[in-house]
Amino acid sequence: MTLPDYHFISAPLWLVTTLHLLTLTLHLAAMSCLFGGTLIALWAGIRKQWAGPDAVDFVRVLPAATAATVSLGVAPLLFLQLVYPRQVYAAAIVSGWFWLAVIGAVITAYYAFYRASFQAHRTGQVSLGLLALAALGLLYTSLVYSSVFALAEQPDLLRALYAKNQSGWVWNPALGAYGLRWLHMLLGALTVGGFFVSLLGRHSSAMAATGRAAFVGGMAAAAGAGFLYLLTLDTDLAPFMRTPAMPALVVALLLALAALHFHSRKRFGLSGLCLFLSVFGMVYMRHVLRLVRLRGSFDLAAWRVAPQWSPFLLFLVCFMLMLVVLVWMARLFFRPDEDSA
Amino acid sequence: MHYPFWDQPIGYGVLMAIIAVFHVFVSHFAIGGGLYLVVNEQQARRDGDMDRLAFLEQLSKFFAMVTLVAGALTGVGIWFVIGLLAPAATEALIHNYVWGWATEWTFFVVEIAAAMLYFYGWKRLTAKAHLTLGWIYFGAAWLSLVVINGILTFMLTPGRWLETGDFWQGFFNPTYWPSLVLRTGVCIMLAGLYALLVASRLEAGDFKARIVRQAAGWAVVGLVVTALAQAWYWKAIPVAVTAKALESMPTPLRAIVLSLWLAAALGAGVLALVILAPRRFGTLAALGFMALGMAWFGAFEWSRESLRKPYILTGYMYGNGAEVAETARYQRDGFLPQITYRTGDDGADLFRHACRSCHTLDGYKALKPALAGADRAYILALIQGAHLLRGNMPPFLGTPKEAELIADHLYQRTDHRPLADIHKVDGLALGRRAYDLRCGKCHAVGTASDKAKSLAGQSAEDLSGMLDMAASLGEGMPAYTGDAAERKALVAYLQTLGQGGKP
Repeated sequence: MTLPDYHFISAPLWLVTTLHLLTLTLHLAAMSCLFGGTLIALWAGIRKQWAGPDAVDFVRVLPAATAATVSLGVAPLLFLQLVYPRQVYAAAIVSGWFWLAVIGAVITAYYAFYRASFQAHRTGQVSLGLLALAALGLLYTSLVYSSVFALAEQPDLLRALYAKNQSGWVWNPALGAYGLRWLHMLLGALTVGGFFVSLLGRHSSAMAATGRAAFVGGMAAAAGAGFLYLLTLDTDLAPFMRTPAMPALVVALLLALAALHFHSRKRFGLSGLCLFLSVFGMVYMRHVLRLVRLRGSFDLAAWRVAPQWSPFLLFLVCFMLMLVVLVWMARLFFRPDEDSA
Repeated sequence: MHYPFWDQPIGYGVLMAIIAVFHVFVSHFAIGGGLYLVVNEQQARRDGDMDRLAFLEQLSKFFAMVTLVAGALTGVGIWFVIGLLAPAATEALIHNYVWGWATEWTFFVVEIAAAMLYFYGWKRLTAKAHLTLGWIYFGAAWLSLVVINGILTFMLTPGRWLETGDFWQGFFNPTYWPSLVLRTGVCIMLAGLYALLVASRLEAGDFKARIVRQAAGWAVVGLVVTALAQAWYWKAIPVAVTAKALESMPTPLRAIVLSLWLAAALGAGVLALVILAPRRFGTLAALGFMALGMAWFGAFEWSRESLRKPYILTGYMYGNGAEVAETARYQRDGFLPQITYRTGDDGADLFRHACRSCHTLDGYKALKPALAGADRAYILALIQGAHLLRGNMPPFLGTPKEAELIADHLYQRTDHRPLADIHKVDGLALGRRAYDLRCGKCHAVGTASDKAKSLAGQSAEDLSGMLDMAASLGEGMPAYTGDAAERKALVAYLQTLGQGGKP
């Protein structure tokens, strides 16, 4: 009996890639609202810039933002593992303990958010200690993700590190390859978090000012860190410049400026849309850069494609249903008067 | 073979169990608890029972904290840990079932969103809207089980997928339906047990008695459904799998027997509670029932995992990640050329990829104590005949030279002193140690491969002669390579076994 071969991709690559980039953008948007928002709230709390009901209301949103971040993080990880299992698992195994500890860090952050939320509701005070604990959990997660995913793109380094240490206690030592990338992500999170804060605090001058400052300042700093990161690409820079990622970078930057423009006019819907599309552009560039860095050891086109259309159709129907149900539930929750009427 | 090996000391089985067992408890509760909440809320609203509604609101907070945070995150944790411990199997599963998992993700997102809105909506929403969210939550949670159950059962009984590679044939495999009914029963049972735990903290009185009786009813109904489905599940497993387990794997069989006793104890305990003391039902008893329920479910999951041996994907991939389809290549070219991540120590690399998925040196299923006192030739024989050993081990698929490298690696790390010195024993006690080392790895007393009866009436000379020609007895028996003192003690011990003596 000839056993089935599992080395295949069960949908056209463009479809899998699109789904991966789209779901990763959604995850990054939610994560940035959460992580950036937490850092801003913490900073504002320490400097006593905003407190009272505004701060309480904001903190009470954070558990939901965590739920969204976690839920939306599952799909891109799935699609990533589908296409790049050899790279992703290998890097995760070499840093096994750090990777696994992410679960503990996120659980800690999640419970800290809930606790802070309940406490704020009960006492009217925001616990900066709990916010700091949650921020630490998220900070750890961000560092591990940057370290592991950067390592996944360095197969030679990966082999060398494993040959020396198989215990799973290996931290990616090539900080130069991912330090600025991590900083760019952190500043990007502050940018999106700033937008989130200013959106939720649009009726509070203190909160809106804090959010606006983080939005504008974060964006400028993120752009600077991003350009510096490009300069560290060394031999990968030239091939990267020849890819469609460069036009995408220009479009993403223009979209970011458009987001600033609309934000200054308090047109939050348009600003948010431009910001989301700008993040999508960054995610696309990240995807192209991964392929550039893996050239020579991995070829996306080498995958055998054997579509499973009926299971895919089931997923598509369920995905559409999911969107409909989410919108319907949100309307039910946020406009309860309509329901009672 | 394409991945590095995470050489951590805890042992893969233990690490997996820590995360997976916790997650399955919480995830099943997440489904059953959702049904419990919404059904009871419907009844309470219909009856205008405000006390019960207050209890349900309290329960929903506990429910949200457990399921939304620990449940969701340990689910992601399973993703993390299977990628670390069994990357090849995870890769195979993802390539075959990515759309199954993606579909399950859509239910997961709805489940999480609905749970949050339900929890925060007690005061904010109308009764109808709140109940609708509750039903959406339960529906999405159960549908996620419907999907994941297909992938989970596929691992034990892939059915016709092995011939066709067809998604649906693998998904709706022989154990799909009994497993779905069984797990649904578990969801209901756990919902009852968790409700009992929350109810145990209520003040003694009629209201508490009512809640306790009702929660106990859920636990018992779930238990009955589960018990019936477990019998169906066992029948649905191909005879070849169960027969092999019955022959050489006492562990899963013990787990199944244990699970039946635990289920009976739980059912009897909960029924006794309902009849005797529903008003004064305490937290300690609730925790006891919860522990019993979890132990029962844990025993079931343990037996399910064990039955799959020597495979991680039955008939397709061995527990150490070696693909069945690649057997001929491994035997021809060896393991080493297939190992992508090498350390420079071939014996260690081979040991990791061939053995370490299940065994550690000092911890879980430790080899150092199991091989203490063994000589190199005997260790080599064990490696080459691994598939004949008790416990349904995968065959060693590498070359003879590679088997020697593993034998060297193990021999260098084990205690070479005589058994008498290692264990400070002599006489029959030494004989028993020698039996455990030299014979018991296949012929465990009391199992299907127990040969004690064949020893009846044999003299010491006969038994010593049998040891001399052990290698020619067939069925992969290794030559007897122990020293003279060990041999003498072993012969004496074999005589006691032949006379019906207890080991």
